[in-house]
Amino acid sequence: MSRRHAFLGVIAAGSIFMGATGAAAQSPDASMGAMMSSPPMSMTEPFGDACSAVPADGAGSFAGMAAVPVATAASANPLLSTLVQAVTAAGLVDTLNSATDITVFAPTNDAFTALDPATLAAAMADPTGLLTQVLTYHVVPGRIAPDALIGTHTTLQGSDLTISAMGDVFDVNDAHIICGNVQTANATVYIIDGVLLPPADGAMASPDMMASPMASTAP
Amino acid sequence: MQPAQALPSVVAPPRSHLFMGALAGIIAAIVALAVGELVAAFIDRAASPIVVVGGTFIDATPEWLKSFAIATFGERDKDALLAGIGGTLLVGAALLGMIATRWRVIGWLGVAGLGVVGAIAALTRPTGMPIDTLPSIAGAAVGIVALTLLLPATGVPSDASDTRRRFLATSAAFVALAAVASVAARFLAPSVDTATSLVVPVPASAAGPLPVGVDQGITDQTPFITSADRFYRVDTALVIPAIDVATWTLRIHGMVDHEMTLTMDQLLARPTIERVITLSCVSNPVGGPYVGNATWVGVPLRDLLDEAGAQAGADQLVSRSVDGMTIGTPTSAVMDGRDAMIAVAMNGQPLPPVHGYPARMLVPGLFGYVSATKWLQELELTTFDAYDAYWVQRGWVQEAPVITMSRIDTPRPLGRVSAGTITVAGVAWAQHRGIKAVEVRADGGDWMAAQLAAVPSDDTWRQWSLAWDASPGTHRLEVRATDGTGTVQTEERADPFPSGATGWYSTVFTVVEA
Repeated sequence: MSRRHAFLGVIAAGSIFMGATGAAAQSPDASMGAMMSSPPMSMTEPFGDACSAVPADGAGSFAGMAAVPVATAASANPLLSTLVQAVTAAGLVDTLNSATDITVFAPTNDAFTALDPATLAAAMADPTGLLTQVLTYHVVPGRIAPDALIGTHTTLQGSDLTISAMGDVFDVNDAHIICGNVQTANATVYIIDGVLLPPADGAMASPDMMASPMASTAP
Repeated sequence: MQPAQALPSVVAPPRSHLFMGALAGIIAAIVALAVGELVAAFIDRAASPIVVVGGTFIDATPEWLKSFAIATFGERDKDALLAGIGGTLLVGAALLGMIATRWRVIGWLGVAGLGVVGAIAALTRPTGMPIDTLPSIAGAAVGIVALTLLLPATGVPSDASDTRRRFLATSAAFVALAAVASVAARFLAPSVDTATSLVVPVPASAAGPLPVGVDQGITDQTPFITSADRFYRVDTALVIPAIDVATWTLRIHGMVDHEMTLTMDQLLARPTIERVITLSCVSNPVGGPYVGNATWVGVPLRDLLDEAGAQAGADQLVSRSVDGMTIGTPTSAVMDGRDAMIAVAMNGQPLPPVHGYPARMLVPGLFGYVSATKWLQELELTTFDAYDAYWVQRGWVQEAPVITMSRIDTPRPLGRVSAGTITVAGVAWAQHRGIKAVEVRADGGDWMAAQLAAVPSDDTWRQWSLAWDASPGTHRLEVRATDGTGTVQTEERADPFPSGATGWYSTVFTVVEA
């Protein structure tokens, strides 16, 4: 039984129990909180300060996202609406939803806001070229568990990204993971606070990619 | 030097009392659950306290979760749900046990309350009967006894080690009782040997050999026939009904001239047909996996309804499963000459339990939730005005013909292929209308016609393939199908809820230098 299944089950059961005992029949978030604090589940649950911004119920909640593929899950999450716009513009929705077992580093709306406007405009103006290169740089084959994060990973764009840790904070290139290990039906998601840009000499960079003055941005 | 052991015989530390209380609660809960399972094994396995609570939970699941997660519930999540309920119950029981070390009455009321919750859940299940409350009541009663006997005595204990010894002995006895009860419950639970208890009839009208070329034989392309173990499963059954075919009956009633109840032998004494039919789920997203194709043997549904004398005006056929699922099908679709059937075999074998053993309904051209009742036991002719079936009550549309859909299986999403001529391939389906054309375009360019595989009828999906000259770079392919009526699949995107997903599937992948 996979973690996300167990997670969904526990959340579900938690709601029942709290409902049954009359403690929190109207409050799914209370039951979720109670369940999460009672048996410590180490790295089987989402981690990070920004996880509290994830809705407590509905399609954008952890349980909701666990049930659907990654692009559908992201579209239910208000934190990720700019990313979803970009993915839609690049025509990557079906591709991400039907890929099997991937890891997605998902920049928040704030991360896109922090990006150099000229870079963002250039990418959005070239949805199937530059934008697709940038977005696929956020995707790594396989589901990376939290304990396997640290190191170098080759993205589906072709270039590598590097993950390091300082204390309990993980850095992906220069961005931070602010809510990690979010499970969707086909992908493990790490929500990050910066947009990752592939290196200018990336192995798979397309010609227009190389012409762009790219550097990894800080959030 | 062991002063710590010498001293506490006078006053037992409250912490150890609390610990024993928690253990007492947990053991009482385990015994209660085991007794509940045992009693349920005598009545109906589906009346088990955990199963009825789980079933109630699934039915009450909000639509935001269920409309996406019914498929997920169809798989391992059901086990997780049951395990989760059990686990949560144990945590609650431990808390109750701790509280009960101080306030017995709260412990008793708590266990009784959980029993009442189970009993109410059992009673309100679609198939719930008063007797179904027994497992929960019996479990709670035994749980109260266990909790009382296990709890450390209140007041000042005479001797801590005595208390501990007594607790250990009582615990061991109850754990043994729980073990015996759950083993007995498992032993008593009916199991179904589908291979020997139902003989697949020789079809009066055989499907015949598949046409040459239904499979284009391309790597990663979806095979034409889906094996039973790879066939998708979407249902709400927490416990797969275990049905004895010897006692199974099919009742046909409602707006009919002659109500009928048929045994399996009586049903299969009628002429049977064998057909290849593709079944798809309304919850399948664009590009999704909830579609499959198999060879089925069954009794034509129209013959049965003719025999029963379906009355004019009965525009809805409501089918019911043994576990209370209801599905509403337009009578017109069943009677218009298509191969609607009560199927008893899938790919040459009796239906596997998860696919509806011993009998399920199939109506080519309709989504499963309005046609494909598993574990079928009842057909009622009625009207759409008079009755809303399970999914219709939850907002899905009443009448749901399948939507024309196509999918690219290869190249894989985000995959890498070498430059040169590559084969693009997949499947397309529009059951009962058939697939007349499939087209593919690359990077928004001109549509290119794909080669279509052979098909035995319009009721199956159709493989397609296309040779395409792949140049290095990132590419995006889109696919669209045209059904037998000449209607092109719509580009407009819609989510599965409430009538099925629409839109052209696309896939992005990378072509590298050869």
